[in-house]
Amino acid sequence: MLNSFKTPQRIALIGGASEIGNAVLRSLPQDGIEEVIRFDRQTSGFDAAIENARREVVSSMFTKDLDVAIIAIGALGNQESTTEEANLLRVIEVNYLATAHLLYLIASKMVTQGHGKILVISSFAQERPRIDNFAYGSTKAAIDFYARGLSHKLKNSGVEIKILRPGFVLTRMTQGMKPAPFSISAEQAGKIGAKLLQGRSTIAYAPTILRYVAIIFRNLPEIIFRRLG
Amino acid sequence: MDEVLSSSTGWGRSIHARSFDRSENIVEMQKTIRSIGGERGALAVGLRRSYGDSALNSGGLHLSSHQLQSVSMNPTSGVIRVGAGLSIASLETIALRAGYFPAVVPGTGFVTVGGAIAADIHGKSHHKTGAFSSMVMSMKVMYSDSSVRELQPTGPTSKHFWATVGGMGLTGIIVEAELQLSPVEGNHFNVHEKRSCDLNELLFDLKTADLEHDHTVAWIDLSGSYCGRGIVGMGDFAESFSKKFRNSPKQINFPLKPKGSLITPITVGAFNSMWFKKPLNSGTSSVRAFCHPLDGVNNWNRVYGEDGFLQYQFSIPDGEEEFLFTVLAKLRELKAASFLGVLKRFGASSPGYLSFPSPGWTLAVDLPVSIPNLERTLNEFDAELVNRKGRVYLVKDSRLRAEYLPAMYPHLNEWKEIRDEMDPQKLWNSDQARRLGLC
Ligand SMILES: Cc1cc2nc3c(=O)[nH]c(=O)nc-3n(C[C@H](O)[C@H](O)[C@H](O)COP(=O)(O)OP(=O)(O)OC[C@H]3O[C@@H](n4cnc5c(N)ncnc54)[C@H](O)[C@@H]3O)c2cc1C
Repeated sequence: MLNSFKTPQRIALIGGASEIGNAVLRSLPQDGIEEVIRFDRQTSGFDAAIENARREVVSSMFTKDLDVAIIAIGALGNQESTTEEANLLRVIEVNYLATAHLLYLIASKMVTQGHGKILVISSFAQERPRIDNFAYGSTKAAIDFYARGLSHKLKNSGVEIKILRPGFVLTRMTQGMKPAPFSISAEQAGKIGAKLLQGRSTIAYAPTILRYVAIIFRNLPEIIFRRLG
Repeated sequence: MDEVLSSSTGWGRSIHARSFDRSENIVEMQKTIRSIGGERGALAVGLRRSYGDSALNSGGLHLSSHQLQSVSMNPTSGVIRVGAGLSIASLETIALRAGYFPAVVPGTGFVTVGGAIAADIHGKSHHKTGAFSSMVMSMKVMYSDSSVRELQPTGPTSKHFWATVGGMGLTGIIVEAELQLSPVEGNHFNVHEKRSCDLNELLFDLKTADLEHDHTVAWIDLSGSYCGRGIVGMGDFAESFSKKFRNSPKQINFPLKPKGSLITPITVGAFNSMWFKKPLNSGTSSVRAFCHPLDGVNNWNRVYGEDGFLQYQFSIPDGEEEFLFTVLAKLRELKAASFLGVLKRFGASSPGYLSFPSPGWTLAVDLPVSIPNLERTLNEFDAELVNRKGRVYLVKDSRLRAEYLPAMYPHLNEWKEIRDEMDPQKLWNSDQARRLGLC
């Protein structure tokens, strides 16, 4: 349960090494938190790509009520060492298939509980296909779409889905890439994510100004957009 | 289940739940209990005057005692058998008509008999009478196997009885109770008040008042300099009947639904200064004006705005008064002003395993949840309470950390064992129980 300060007691972070995920955790009010469970490949050997592993992880989270789940697994799919095809399959598998499945499983459990909040990390890249990251963007568009639909479906269940759409976040994942305009630190993104979790809205951009940039971005005529590309 | 989930909240309106709500008679309840599936179980609820999540069961079933209103009274002995859904206000009216009054009544009349037993509530008379359970001669409880059993404070059923007293609805549904009322001659209170200029004086005055009066309580000014000044109220049941108090007074609705809290250090400071200087009451008072002063206004809890508020109520043994000074100083630091600060002395404990009152002091403070750093401060208070053998009152709680519970309630493990025996299916559950690891 969120207590009367709206502080969660038990939180799960899937993608326990995620810099944004951890930053969100750090930005939540700490005084009521009693347990944080982290799942990641390095320390808990959790491979999100394995269907059964996802099921097991989710059922292990719900030995007690879970108040907040942060799904922060993700692949960028730009490793130069692999082929474009392998990258495509990898981003679909992690960013869409595994994330949507986890979202579905966690939400179902939370519906039984009658309460809970899930934060999904989408991306600004889902706004419009760009030549350098459209495969990645397509998976984020898909998970964003699914999360919005699910959020609508769960409107009266006590369960809330929250969608964070970060722009360029300076993390390990983006190291070596040329920072895009409006890039921010994981810490800043985390603050926005935590605020989203505690507030009433469903979607937030990080930085928040991207919300307005997105409107322009989506509405630019294709011909101009391609030139910007 | 085909019902839709409905949303409910505790009296503090700062903690919410979505659940299935039903109001049924005993036979229907039994049928429902037999057919319940799922993991979230069921919980008896009364008038939801508990402040936090004691009467909330997210994702599960709420079984309201509303239909359990039966009354039968023996006018010679003053023993009354009532349905657990009957409110204390109705109980008072019925009792008074027959020349009796319940020895223990809480600060509001809108509490059910079931809720009063489940929290083993206390009133202004605690130093003389003990808690509500002292009036309970027996009760009927519906177990999770749907059987209804009669429990008594002594004899073979006594363990189950005392686990249900203060058991927060987690042992079964109290459906009926047999209460011993006290004979009275009048229909109102003789009251008088005294102003005390600081906390030392207030503590002294309250102690003195306890020697002479059946009902005592102190309002403490939690604003301004937080020096602990206040007003001690004292009352005794009148021995004469007055026509003036024959009809119960009217109620008005709180007229606003503010988004933000109207309770700020400035409004509270102004109100409290005025209240401290008000002309002292001396003379007669209606039962409601004396016992339930806030009941004149419906929904006054909306004054705290959409975020709501909480009540922090704790008890500490004699000799630990220093903690009261610490609390005042800390609240001052936080600029946490409150117009409702209530100080009272407790007499002897009841044998209820989880019963709250224990000899010493109790302080109750209403606070808006939006006060910065309040959560951390209350956690610090809790840690200090544990050191001083104090405890927080569960029926007011919505934020205690589970780790402090066993030290605050030393009979917790015994209670758990009895609870498991009474409810092997683990049917009864609440958000508070899950939050604090009660079940
Ligand atoms: C203005 C105000 C003043 C108050 N003053 C006092 C006071 O002076 N002293 C004091 O001790 N308390 C006081 N209280 C608290 C109040 O007395 C308790 O919260 C009481 O338990 C509320 O009863 P209820 O019928 O509203 O129960 P609810 O709030 O609905 O439920 C409270 C608990 O009782 C259980 N319960 C309710 N009915 C049953 C049943 N039939 N069988 C089994 N379990 C049941 C619930 O499961 C829950 O755990 C005050 C509250 C308010 C709002």
